[in-house]
Parts: sequence; structure tokens; C-alpha cells
Amino acid sequence: MSPINSIDMSLTRRELLKAGALAVAAVPAVGPVAAIAQTPKRGGTLRLTFQADPLHFDPHQTLSFVTMVPLSFAYSRLVKVKAGPSVKPMTYPVEPDLAESWTQSSDTTYLFKLRKGVRWHNKPPVNGRELTADDVKYTYERFLTITGNPNKPVLEYIDRVEAIDKYTVKFTLKEPNAWFLDLLASTSTWIIAKECVEKYGDLKKVESVVGTGPWMLERWEPNVKLVYTRNPNYFVPGLPYADGVDVLIDKDPASRLATWLSGKTDFGPEYQHAVRWLDAPVAKQRKPGMQTAEYTWFTSGSTGFKLANPPFNDVRVRRALSRSSNLAELYEALAFSQGHWTPNPAVPAAFAEWSIPIDQLGPEGRKLYDFNTAEAKRLLAEAGHPNGFKTTVEAPATVYGPDFDDFVQITLKNWKAAGIDADLKLKEYGAFITSTIFGKFDSMFLGLRGAWADPEAYFYRWFMPGQPLNVWGVNDPRLTEMIKLQRRTFDVAKRRQIVFDIQRYLADQALFGVDGSIRILSAWDAHIKNYMPNNGFDYGGRLMAAWIDK
Amino acid sequence: MRSYVLRRLLVALPSLLIATLVVFTLPRLIPGDVVQLMLEEKAYGKDLEDLRAKLGLNRPIHAQYVDWLRAIGHGNLGESLWTRQPVLAEMTRRLPVTAALGLIALGVAILIGIPVGVIAAVRPDGVLDFFARSAAILGLSVPAFVIAILVTLLPAIWWGWTPRARFVEFSIDPTAYVLQFILPATILGIASAAGIMRLTRGMLLEVLQQDYVRTAWAKGLRERVVVLKHALKNAVIPVVTVLGLQVASIAGGAVIIEWIFGIPGMGQFLVDAIVQRDYPVIQGINLIIVLIIVLTNLTVDLVYAVLDPRIRY
Repeated sequence: MSPINSIDMSLTRRELLKAGALAVAAVPAVGPVAAIAQTPKRGGTLRLTFQADPLHFDPHQTLSFVTMVPLSFAYSRLVKVKAGPSVKPMTYPVEPDLAESWTQSSDTTYLFKLRKGVRWHNKPPVNGRELTADDVKYTYERFLTITGNPNKPVLEYIDRVEAIDKYTVKFTLKEPNAWFLDLLASTSTWIIAKECVEKYGDLKKVESVVGTGPWMLERWEPNVKLVYTRNPNYFVPGLPYADGVDVLIDKDPASRLATWLSGKTDFGPEYQHAVRWLDAPVAKQRKPGMQTAEYTWFTSGSTGFKLANPPFNDVRVRRALSRSSNLAELYEALAFSQGHWTPNPAVPAAFAEWSIPIDQLGPEGRKLYDFNTAEAKRLLAEAGHPNGFKTTVEAPATVYGPDFDDFVQITLKNWKAAGIDADLKLKEYGAFITSTIFGKFDSMFLGLRGAWADPEAYFYRWFMPGQPLNVWGVNDPRLTEMIKLQRRTFDVAKRRQIVFDIQRYLADQALFGVDGSIRILSAWDAHIKNYMPNNGFDYGGRLMAAWIDK
Repeated sequence: MRSYVLRRLLVALPSLLIATLVVFTLPRLIPGDVVQLMLEEKAYGKDLEDLRAKLGLNRPIHAQYVDWLRAIGHGNLGESLWTRQPVLAEMTRRLPVTAALGLIALGVAILIGIPVGVIAAVRPDGVLDFFARSAAILGLSVPAFVIAILVTLLPAIWWGWTPRARFVEFSIDPTAYVLQFILPATILGIASAAGIMRLTRGMLLEVLQQDYVRTAWAKGLRERVVVLKHALKNAVIPVVTVLGLQVASIAGGAVIIEWIFGIPGMGQFLVDAIVQRDYPVIQGINLIIVLIIVLTNLTVDLVYAVLDPRIRY
């Protein structure tokens, strides 16, 4: 039995101040973060806008950010992605949350020791009782057995969960999975209370949001706001600093920007508190003390095609497709990016530790990112298409906003210049995500990717035979073996090499269309201290130690 | 009059029945499966069937339709497939919001459209008429959402202030509740005001040429009496017809205005429901809209009799 982690999560003020000071050194892209540590102040309300209303509040019935972000203020997990100024954006270190420590006795067995004295929110029907191992067991059993949990792939390799005693939980996996702790830190694994499910039938109703997190959901005014109040019994002493959080729901981007510029909110108006690069000059002018962090977003464009059918069964055609994609022109044109972007290999660049640098790809893989229409034409001619070819491409209509529409148009224009004449078929969003992304398309599709917070998902779910999202129809024994091997490899450095090899192979075979991600500019007001944004849905976790200097 | 109203209501019943069939069937013809939408990217074989059965969507469509009609008969519009909230309860909360927005917008349209139309008609081709007609063309040409975005965003960029306010419930502050509708309702009512102004002007110009108006002038009546008492009453009959049609137009425009101003009304509810294929919500809202339009048209017909004594039912 080897102890892996036994960090005490009780942060002292000194530790927090130290963390704040470290951030200045750790994050070069960050703007004017206060260089001199200040004493945190309790009180005040954090005000932010959010782009959508929650669909409902059941984390086992959706993987959408519109539910997970609101839940992040009220719930806790066994382990979580570390947050705060000491964490460099685009890295996702795992630390204890409700678990105090854990040990791994074999490749498939984990033992978690829970914190003692953790109390549920003092709300009916749970009424502030103590959290126990039975709650953890109940949560994961519901997670794995409830009908229609789209998050099931996160933990589907778990064989059983046992409550050994009041504060000890044992996980037995069906097979080794080196990503287990990272996946356990996913924002779908909130620990829930059995009483709520029993009382309400499920967790969809707002009254059922009873967690152990830093804030309690006081009320939800649909399409208006979510109001949270401080959990006085939160298990990390002294936290959270803010007495409340007001999440204003505002679906209109212009209105969100206006609200922020007029000082009615404290954080940038877009997802992850980003401000569009197009709006950044106005924001800097109106908010001179604004703090910022620039980092690469999870989200990127995605190009799908049918490998089994001509012409995409020919690697030269696939390479031509990427060579004809002018990513620089694309990301220069978008209001969100205005030239701030990063090319993505198979694992998005937002996973700084797992995404292979483009210059470390093989020679053929590297070339994919080198826009060259003439070379694309030559490859097509070599593949027997001297005059190019006609095809169809499906894309969702309207829902992703004008930047996505621009992305589609510029991509099609560049493909056409090389001879790939794709006829655009816009599909209503609901139809797109229930048919196209499951492989029901004729030849190609253009969409977005970026919902998954673990790097493995980007090759496991897309390229592993039998996975529903392997719409390409990839069944490559060499690739499959590498994907299986990395799952069994617990040594992080060795696993990283295998993951890099997978990305080299995917690029070499051009099994995906090249894309990039925007380097977003997250922004927050001068009076918000001790805060650092990052990718992912855990808004609450990242704001827990933030305080208001007013 | 009473028998006319009863006759109209009886005639409306088959229309409503046909409408229920349409609002029940059409949402199910939109491509995309609500069950797969709910299960999102990972649907496990049996999950789809289980959830479909749980939601009652695995039964023949005619059986679902009959059940729905039966439930409506008991005043039950069902519950949202996603949130499990009763549709009627949610609509009871949202309908007054959209109604307030729509009524104020209609009021704005009338208060601007008719007086300006009258002024333009009594001084045709004058300076005021020129400005009124130009403003009307502008009001008709610029979509409400463009005006809304400019009004929201430009003051924030220039002065760090925005008129955009957070929605306040009536129970919390009744005055603020009413005041918060003024700006969005004005923007929403602008296009209708422009249309009403042009129609009022045109109709009044025509009426002012008629013999009985000339007689009124010859009797030495004051301009105000001739225009407002004798001419306007006849001129506004077509305007009343248009007002009835404006209800549907304002209801449509309310969707985008509610979106921009964050007003939690029926418009947002409907758009979200369509995107999510939330059939009971789509059906419920459309049924209520059909009811409102039927009743509005009936009211418009009845108002004719008040405005024109020659019309009798």
C-alpha cells in the first residue's frame, strides 16, 4: 500500500498569501496581479454573468456546462482540480476535496479517507447532517446505474464502491485506469445526498440542490439569476471569503458586455469570464485596473469525415484537407480571437502537459499545420483528383454564434481554393447534436469540440473502436494498442510519451482535420483579489478563495 | 350582441381543436430526438428506450394526443420533460410578464402612432408631416433588436452606464416592476407605432375629403372638433383592425426583446423549449397563443360596433 497523497486542505491565511505571491511568478501572461499580498477581507457579493439558464440541476442527467457551473458553487467532490492564483491556467493538478487522503493498494484498488465533521448544507431534507462514506457510495452507485447519465464514460470502468467504515471508501476498478484520479476530479462527480433524491424523485428541481460546497443555492429566478449565500459550516476554515454570489443570467452578448462595462458585474462577460479580443480595448479604457489572464481555451473547431468512404480513405486527401486550412487567417478574423490562437494536435493545446507541441510531431504531421494551397492541390492530384472533388459538409445553424459562422465560411473558402468544393448543409442544432455527431452524416461535418475536461477523452472517445463518438470509423490495431497501453501506464512521464506517440500517429495518418483554439483573455475587476481563471466548469472552486477589496 | 359572441365562441372551438392537433404534431416533426438530446453525447443502448418509456414517448402518437387533450380538459398542460416543472405553473409566472411588455408596447404604439398620424394628416406635406413620415420609415426599417443593442451597449461604452436593469419581480417592488418595461416596450412598440402612424395619416386624409367633413367645416365647427370628433372616429376603424394584427407581431418581437433585456417571459420560454424539443412546453405555449389571438380578434370585432354605430351584430 503506497500513500499517494495526504495533503491537508485546511488553508491557513499564510498559505493563501503565499499562494497569491507564487501566482505572480507562475503566470507570466497575467496582467497587473497585485504584487504585494494583502490581508483577505470577508464579505461582499461576487457578481458575474452567465450565458444560459440551467437546464435542470441533476448532475447525472447532463454533461452541460449550464448545469455543472451553477452546481460548482454548492457541491464538493472527493478530489478536485486545484484552483487559485498558484495554479497556472491550462494545468489541472488534482488535490483533495472531501477526501482527506487516499492510497492505492493495487492497479485497480483505491482507498479514500474522508474528512471528519463535514456537514451538508443546513437545508431540508438533509438539514446539516454529517457526510459519511455511505453518501459517497450512494453517489457513485447512482452515477453508474441511473438511466441516461451522459457522464457514465467518466467512471464506467469502476467495478464496485464500498463503504468500509464511516469515513473510508474503497473503489475497485474493472481494469487499471491511470486517469482515475483525474476523472474523479471531473465536475460531474459531485457528492449528492440520498435524501434529496428520495424526496424529489431526482435532482432536477432547484430545491434538491443541497451539497457540502462553499455556497448554498438560495434561489433561482429562471432567466434572471441564481443567488448563493455563504455556507457558514464549509469544511475549509475561513472560506469562502465572499458572503454571496449573484450569477446573473444574460443570454445576449452585447447586454452582458454593457452590464460589465457599467460596473454591474465584477468579471468578464463571456464563458470563463473572457472578454472578446475585439472588445478588449474598450474594456481596458473603461476599466483601467482590470486584471487579466491569457490562456488557451479547451474549445476548438472540429472537422469530421468518413474514413471508410472515398475520397477520405486516402491519406493524401486527408492531408490535402488540412494543408488547405488557413488557421492563421481564420483566427485573425474572429471577434473572439483577433489573432490570438494556438494550433491543436489531437489533444487540445489547453492541456499544456498532455498536448504535444507541434514541432515534436513527425514530419508528415508537422506539415498538416503548414497552410499551402498549391501543396494541397498537388496531394489531391496525386490521389487521383487533379480537378479536386465535390462533397457535402454538415454544420449546426446559428446556435454557436457569429464567430462559428465565420469559421465555417472561411474554412469552406480555403478548401475550395484547393479544389475541395464542399456544399454546406446547415442543420438545426438539436438535429445536429443528435444525429451528425453520432456519425449520421454523408461525408463531412464541421462543429466544435471541448466539453471534456480530461485529455484522454479526445483520443479514447473519438478513435477507440466501439465508442459511439468514433464517427470516423477508425479501427487501427496499432492505435488501439497504444490507447490501451497508456491507460495501464501509471508512470506519468511514460504515459505522456505514449500520449505524445498517439498524437504523432494521428497526425501522421491525418485522422483528424487540423484546428486551433483561441487564446482567451479572462478579465476581472481590480477589486477582486486572489483569483485566477482556468479551463473547466468549476467556477465555484476557483472563486472560493477570491475576496473583494472594497 | 350576446348571441353573436356565443356564435363566435362556438365557431372558435373547431379552430382550437385543429390548433391543438397542429401544435401537438408539428413539434414532433422537427428533426432531432428529445431523448437523445437529453442523453447528450453518450446514449447507452437501453437508456434510450428506458427514458423514452419513462417520458411516455414510446406510445403511439394518437394515444399521446388523446391523453394530452384529456389533461387539458382538466386544466393540466403537463410538465416539462427537462425540468419536471408543471407547464401551467411556469406559464402562470411568465405570461403576465410578456403580457405587461406587450400591453405597454401596444400602448406606446397607440400613443405615438395615432397622435403623430393625426398631426401629419391635418398638415399634409408640411414640415411636421415630412419629419413624421421620415421617422415612420426609419421606425419600420430599423429592426427592434438593433435599436435595443445600440441603446444597451453605446451608453456603456461612452459613459460606463447602461439602461439595462435586472428584472425585478412585482412582489418585490411593484413600481420598479412596471418601470423596467418602459424602455424595452418602447423599443418593441416603435415599429408598430410607425405602421399605425402611416395608416392613421392615410385614412384620416381620405376621411377629411369626405362630404360630411366638408359639411362640418361649413357649419363653422372648430378644427379640433372636426378632426377628432367627426373624422378620426371613422378613420381609426382600419387602425383597430391593424391593432389586432399587431398583437401577433408584438408577441413575435417580444421574443428577441426579452432575450436582450433579460425579461423572463414567454418568448424565452418558447425558444428554449423549441431548442430542447420540450414538447409539453411548446404545446402549452402555442395553445395559449392561439387562444389569445382568437380572443383578440373577437375583441377587435366587438370594438367595431362601439366605434361605428352602423355596425350591429
